[in-house]
Amino acid sequence: MQLKKLETGIASFDHISHGGLPIGRTTLVAGSSGSAKTLFGAQFLAMGIMLFDQPGVFVTFEEQVDDIRENLKSFNWDIDTWEKEGKWTFVDAAPKEEIIIAVGDFDLSAFRIRLERAVEKNKAQRVVIDSIGSIFTQFHEETHAIRRELIQVALTLSRLGATSIITAERLEEYGKITRFGVEEFLTDNVVILRNVLNNEKRRRTIEILKFRGSNHEKGENPFSINPEKSIVIIPLSAMNLQHISSNERVTSGIPALDEMLSGGFYKGSINLVSGAIGAGKTLLVANFIKGIRERNERCLLMAFEESHQQLYRNADSWGIDFKELEDEGLLKVICVYPEISSLEDHFINIQDIVKTFKPDRIAIDSLSALSRASSDKGFREFIIAFTSYLKHHEITGMFTSNTPLLAGGTSDTEGNISPITDSIILLRYVEMSGEMQRSIAVLKMRGSRHDSAIRKFTITDEGANIGKHFEGISGILTGNPMLIKLE
Amino acid sequence: MHVFQLFINGHSLNSIEAVDTLLKICKENLDGNYKLEIIDIQKNPDKAEEAGIIAIPTLIRMEPAPVNRIIGALNVRSRVLAGLGISSMHVTA
Repeated sequence: MQLKKLETGIASFDHISHGGLPIGRTTLVAGSSGSAKTLFGAQFLAMGIMLFDQPGVFVTFEEQVDDIRENLKSFNWDIDTWEKEGKWTFVDAAPKEEIIIAVGDFDLSAFRIRLERAVEKNKAQRVVIDSIGSIFTQFHEETHAIRRELIQVALTLSRLGATSIITAERLEEYGKITRFGVEEFLTDNVVILRNVLNNEKRRRTIEILKFRGSNHEKGENPFSINPEKSIVIIPLSAMNLQHISSNERVTSGIPALDEMLSGGFYKGSINLVSGAIGAGKTLLVANFIKGIRERNERCLLMAFEESHQQLYRNADSWGIDFKELEDEGLLKVICVYPEISSLEDHFINIQDIVKTFKPDRIAIDSLSALSRASSDKGFREFIIAFTSYLKHHEITGMFTSNTPLLAGGTSDTEGNISPITDSIILLRYVEMSGEMQRSIAVLKMRGSRHDSAIRKFTITDEGANIGKHFEGISGILTGNPMLIKLE
Repeated sequence: MHVFQLFINGHSLNSIEAVDTLLKICKENLDGNYKLEIIDIQKNPDKAEEAGIIAIPTLIRMEPAPVNRIIGALNVRSRVLAGLGISSMHVTA
């Protein structure tokens, strides 16, 4: 039989935990300093009050109560009011200014009685103790006694029947669960928060290490601290491959390209356009956007390289009027520097826009620029989470990626994304008799036949023009085109 | 004048020991010149809440300033005296 769980209300945590925290039990939330343990606990209580009308008790062993109230104000949690209404109760066990010395044996019965009273008084269903490690520093000479006493506290909590979180400090991101070994008696349920610096990028993750007698998702899931929603988890491990795969086709905006793709992109597919600078990637994106006209779809363009003005001017020069599409409410263009926030935040931002704008298509120009905002691993995870998100919503996506070499070659970005794309379009320069020519080829088209030719690609005032294939030339993809004599 | 608060929990062993030791010190070292309030957290939990008491027993020296706290059964008398800033030489006959 599965243990019952208490829905926490923390975005996506209930998803990765298969329903929330084990009800009536204590969960250890361990993390290094600055890993958002306190916030996680506070959010657990705040969501309980806001979404489920469940009162909570917050015990602080570390931060002063006034500081906590002040810090949490930024998330629009009105703790003062909740305190007055008896929904949120603080138990202040933070260090005092006075000097404390220990002479002889003691117990923590005063604390237990205070905790019990607080829980009984406001009928708390949620309890947070933050953080248990600080009690060891408060009574640093008596760690043995403290450990013995904490077992009593754990027993008290389980007797009270509230669902509780105990936070604990760890020294390393990967190593012993907690600094003072409290996992010895709080072993049943363990959640780990990490804040890892990797290649100069911060990456926050949450991992459910174990829930005794109950299922949960395994592995680390990235999360972000959002100024409005506090902790937002991006559930990677819970992503599955059960999407609806549509047979419906949508136009790429270029009839000749549709033909190369045997009828256009699949609806809800992920399509990658790879090419060097100036090879025509943004042109393909502009046509992809123009393609929404055919069925009155809506498109969201996330531009990470160019400004509004540049984009509109360029589109204009190809005969595509972004302004008009935008005025009709069919197009939304968001221009941001990838560096302004983390990938997780970009993801959350895009999700928010998708919720309100409800686009049928999303174009990202370019993915390579976006990859600068994260570590390799983080980027890979973002891509998986993002493509799976798009497929789930049946949104057709077009991503562009920059290749470092003018002719031939691939980029790291592509290495990460190509396995999960449904089609890949290559735009390559071909150096021929002292002239740079452009080429276009469909490298991959999942679930369908496609044109295998490498074709001439020209950019004119009317936009994209796809011509005949390069006859008698080999080595375009490797960047060393050679004329082959045809027998 | 010494002013103390001693927080205890009913008749727990540590509580009894702390009360005994403190009463002895008050009598033998302070010459009756003290005020002592003994607070049982079972009967008076609000006071424990106010003072932010975690451990039992907790002895608070309110006066003379600065305020300080000694936790534990107070079973090493010399350390208690040192902690309270009372000279152990001052013993009344």
